[in-house]
Parts: sequence; structure tokens; C-alpha cells
Amino acid sequence: MSDTLVESSAGSAFLDLHKKIIEQGSPALAELQQVALNRFEVLGFPHSKHEMYTYVNTKGLVETAFSLSDGSKKVSEDFVASHVYPGCENQCLVFVDGIFNRDLSRVEKVSANLVPLSESVSSDQDLKKYLSETAENENDVFAALSTAFCGEGLVFKVGDNTQISEPVQVLFVSTGGSPVMHAPRLVWQLGKLSEVKVIEKFVGVEGGYFINAVQDWLLEEGAGVSFTQVQADASDSWHFSKTRVHLHRNSRFHSSNASFGSQLARHHYDVRLQEEGSELRLNGVSVLDGKEQVHNFIRIHHEAPQCVSHQHFKNVINGHARSSFDGTVIVNQGAQLTSSDQLINNLMLSNDGHADNKPNLMIFADDVKCTHGATIGQIDKEQWFYLQTRGLSARVAKELLTRSFAKSIIETIEFPEVVKDLNSTLLKKLEVRNV
Amino acid sequence: MLEIKDLHAGFDGNEIIKGISLSIKKGEIHAVMGPNGSGKSTMAKILSGHPAYQAMSGEILFDGKNLLEMDAEERSLAGIFMGFQYPVEVPGVNNAEFLRMAHNARRVKAGEEEIDPLDFDDLLSEKMKMLGMEKKYKERNLNDGFSGGEKKKNEILQMAILEPKLSILDETDSGLDIDALRVVSEGVNKLHNENNALILITHYQRLLDYIKPDFVHVLSNGKIVKSGDKSLALELESQGYDWVTTAN
Repeated sequence: MSDTLVESSAGSAFLDLHKKIIEQGSPALAELQQVALNRFEVLGFPHSKHEMYTYVNTKGLVETAFSLSDGSKKVSEDFVASHVYPGCENQCLVFVDGIFNRDLSRVEKVSANLVPLSESVSSDQDLKKYLSETAENENDVFAALSTAFCGEGLVFKVGDNTQISEPVQVLFVSTGGSPVMHAPRLVWQLGKLSEVKVIEKFVGVEGGYFINAVQDWLLEEGAGVSFTQVQADASDSWHFSKTRVHLHRNSRFHSSNASFGSQLARHHYDVRLQEEGSELRLNGVSVLDGKEQVHNFIRIHHEAPQCVSHQHFKNVINGHARSSFDGTVIVNQGAQLTSSDQLINNLMLSNDGHADNKPNLMIFADDVKCTHGATIGQIDKEQWFYLQTRGLSARVAKELLTRSFAKSIIETIEFPEVVKDLNSTLLKKLEVRNV
Repeated sequence: MLEIKDLHAGFDGNEIIKGISLSIKKGEIHAVMGPNGSGKSTMAKILSGHPAYQAMSGEILFDGKNLLEMDAEERSLAGIFMGFQYPVEVPGVNNAEFLRMAHNARRVKAGEEEIDPLDFDDLLSEKMKMLGMEKKYKERNLNDGFSGGEKKKNEILQMAILEPKLSILDETDSGLDIDALRVVSEGVNKLHNENNALILITHYQRLLDYIKPDFVHVLSNGKIVKSGDKSLALELESQGYDWVTTAN
């Protein structure tokens, strides 16, 4: 792990590092990785006025000398088991430092759905073309970096008219302990009228790592997805993720993200409602303390008529924590009868926290219903007083109000085990001693 | 039980209560009436410990203790209940859970064990039945999306659960239709006994058709300008507030 990436010598040092991953990795992915690397070189690391990184300071990240994971670090079965949700024991995909780990995974029930990315790229020309074009047109430098350095990823295919009723969990474990970079890659292909429920959880054994994940969701006509993400990385890690979603006729993508934050966590969603009747729900909640950060960057493209998108994000900000929301809904010409709403609520618990919000609408059709809004506030004093007049202490009343603020998003998660977990872990950050 | 002695109080440095003295014993019901702006709600807020309202001079003793030194939580735990004129909506806080927390806070204060959730559910069902409240109000969030009448019933439900020594009901009749007023009043009457006391703050006499006060006080410009028995309320109803406020 002697090869490192430093911004100032991003040229030659980075190319050397990239040569190494191409030598180590699958030849089938080399072409894709090279395209992404070229794109990375064109885009370059963002400066502070970069449109996509206005609120995200990546200086500390790009100045860190990262190594590539050599895949030698082991994770115990007990550690994995402690993060697998009850009900997902028999269908759990485990990635360790960005690489799919078959030994730690339990795939008996879904083995027919799984194809290694390298194999899929070799056999599925449409997928290869899609990935290649996406890499060529990538506009987010960290997503380009992820593809350039992606390890063996997975393609999860669900056939036409197939419903997987039990939730599938994907557990991303980062071993950490040193500044190691890794880039897990997933592609979800859902056939017509298929359905899948997915829970993803990101955890770290030790901190200091940089996880840079990219995934693509390709939904055919009538497909339905319930997608829950729990970002619970080590607090001194860097977490970047990009989620691309392509929705065809009458397909549905319902997503909820719960974030613990880290020294820099950024979620980028790029959703295209490509055909009539498709529907998107994107919810998110973060509870931040200390110097933790969570940033959401969202682009929703309404490209066809009669599509619906809902977004609701809430952040609880304590200590010196920071959050940002930069979200744009673009309604194309011809995307008539679009219905779209976007709401961001921030609850500030300290004077030193920071929240930036940029809800944005770009509408090129004339018969649409679109709303957006953002609020930043403190605990409602009248609510606080009301609870105290019923005998609750000021601190308990404040905790109750803060929990209730975050719970409204957590309760949209359809998996009771995840809700239970978040109530006792994410909301634990709001316990009396902290507020 | 409650002794208010020459109380001067207000909001943001403005004196609104300008010297009130009042003595309330257990078992009594006092009605405080008065025109808009006379200081009725300020009096309720001062008694409940609202942080935006300050006493400038005078004292309030509750069971011999200085009430003005206690915060809202302590006053509640000591046995004071404030029924709000405008009960606050608290989205995301389940009504039944909140009521159980409040009930338990009182039990813990009294050195008792917290109540078993199932036992509490029985208690809550019984009190809700008394107030004619549907079961769905257990599941809903605290006052969230409740109609005016439902909010007031929920206040009385809280009163029933907390069993206070002294209840101050601020304009509990406002916004209620006659059927809701009857139900709420019946609930209050059932909860009243020789060991507790009630202060009814109201603009209208009609509440007093249902809850019979022992004493009626007329507040005007921050002072009690007349006190009497319940016949005073009837006189006010027929002659209007000008009758007492201009006479002073």
C-alpha cells in the first residue's frame, strides 16, 4: 500500500496508482476504468466555487495521501452479523473495502440474481454501452474517480414479473485504520413488473477511510423498488456516494436515507423519470453532532408527462456540525402534468452549527404542479413550554421534540427492524446529555 | 392552597397585572372574568410559569411555597395544571405516549414506580370514555390536526390523567360548540372534588351555566375590580362589562 494519491501531483502519481489497479483488476473493467479516468482528468478536483461543491469543502480529502486497499484485511463474521438486520440473514451481500466478499455474504436465495460486474460487462452489450456512456458524460468528479478505481462490482438482476418479497441487505464494511480509498460498485437491473426491497448499510471497523460508492438503478416498466440506506460510517471517515436512477413507464422508486454523518459525507442523487407515470420518493434524515457533516446534492429530471416526485429531507444539527442541501428539479418541455414537491427542514440545536439550503426548480412545461421550500429553525419555544407545563423537564422536553422532528422521516422506512435500529442508535445521539 | 399577594406582572417590561390579591382554598371554584385585554391570560401565564412573563412585585404562594421561584416543570409536579387557551400542536409526539410520560413524571416525583404500559392504557381508556373521546386520539400526535373542540377535550384529558391540586383553565370554553362545551364541563365537574381547586378564566358567562363557581372576580385593567358569588356573572351577562369597569 505504498502508492498514494496527492492532489498536487494528481497527474503522474495518480496515473501510476491507476496503472496498479488496472494490473490487479479485471481486464473486462479496464476499458470502463480508463474512460472514467480520462473523465476524472478533464473534470479535476473541485475548487470552492465549483457549482457542485459550493457547500462542500473537499480540501482535507484531496490533500490526504490515500492508498488503495489490497483486500488483505479481514472482517470477523461476528462484526458482520452485528450489522445484519433480522430477516435479512439469508440474503445479505457483504462488501469489504469495496470488494464483494462471497464468504461473508449469504446469497443462497438470490444467487441466481447476482452477476459479477466484469462478467456482465462482457456479456451484456447494452449494459456495457450504458456504463461507458455514463462514464464519458460523468459530471461529478468523485463519481468519475469511483468508476476509475472500482473493484469487482455486482450486477443484481431481477427478471420480468419477479417479486423478491424478503428484503435484500447490502452491507458495506470499511476496515479503515489508515487512509485507504475504495470504490464499491453496484448495478440493479429490474425487469418489467419486478419488485425488490433493499436495505444498504455503511459501517466502518476503524476510521480514516474514504468510501466512494456508485450505484445505478435501471427500472423497466412497472418495476418497484423500496430502498433504504443507513450511513453509519466511522465519524472520522469520508463517505461519498452517487445513486443514479432511471425510471421507465409506471415504475416506482421509494428511497429513504438515514445518515449519522462523518467528517465529510456527501450523497449525490441523479434521477431521471424517463417515461409516463413513473414515481420517485426521496426522503432523508441526518442527526449530526461535533464536526460531522452531511451534504445532499440532488438532480431530478422530469423527462415525461404524468410523473411524480416527492423529496423531504430533515437535518438535526448540534455542535459544530454542517449540512447542505442543493437540489434541483428540472421539468423538461413536454413533461406536462408533472407533480413535484421538495421540502428541507433543519433543526439547529447549537449556535455553532451550519446549514445551507438551495432548493431549486427549473420548469420548461406549462401545466405542472411543483413546490419547494426550506426551513431552518430552533426548538419551538411554545411547544417546549407546553411540554414543561405537563411536568417534563426542560431537557427531556427538548429531547422529545428533537426526536419527534427526526422520527417523522424515520417512520417512512418500511422495515421495522431498521426503524428500531435507528431509534436506538441514530436518535441516541439526541439523548439528554447531548442536547 | 394558593395565595396571590399584591401581584404586579407583565410582559417585556410592560405592566399588565397591576396589583392582584386572591386567596383560593381547596374545594373552591373561582371564575375570573373580564373584557379583552384586562389581563386574564397574563394571569394564567404567570401562574403556569411562562418564561416570557415576569412578576415585578408581590408574591404567589402555593401550599406555602414561593411559586415564582419554581419553573414550569416544578409547578406541574407540585400539582398545578394549566389548560391552555390555544393548546399547542406537537407533531411527531404520540398523544398516548406523551400522556404516559407526563403521568410517570408525576409518579416518579411522588417516589412511586412508573406505571405499567398496559395499566396506563386502561387508565387512559377510562378517562377518554369519561370525556367521550374516540380511541383514535391515543394514536394521533399531540393536538396535531385536532379541531378546536378536540384540543380542549385533550386538555381536560391531560387534567384527568395528571390529577392536579389546582387547575387553571384559560378560556376553555372558547371555540367550543354547545355539545362540546357540555362534555368538557361535565368532565371538569367529575374531576373536581373537595381536595382540589379550579380557576376558570373566561370572557363569557355561559361556561358558568355548566361549572358553578363559588366566587366570581372581575378583572379590568390588571386589577380585580369586583368580587362576588355566581350571581355576579349573571349580572355581568345582563349589564355588560362597562357596568363594573366604568364604575371603577
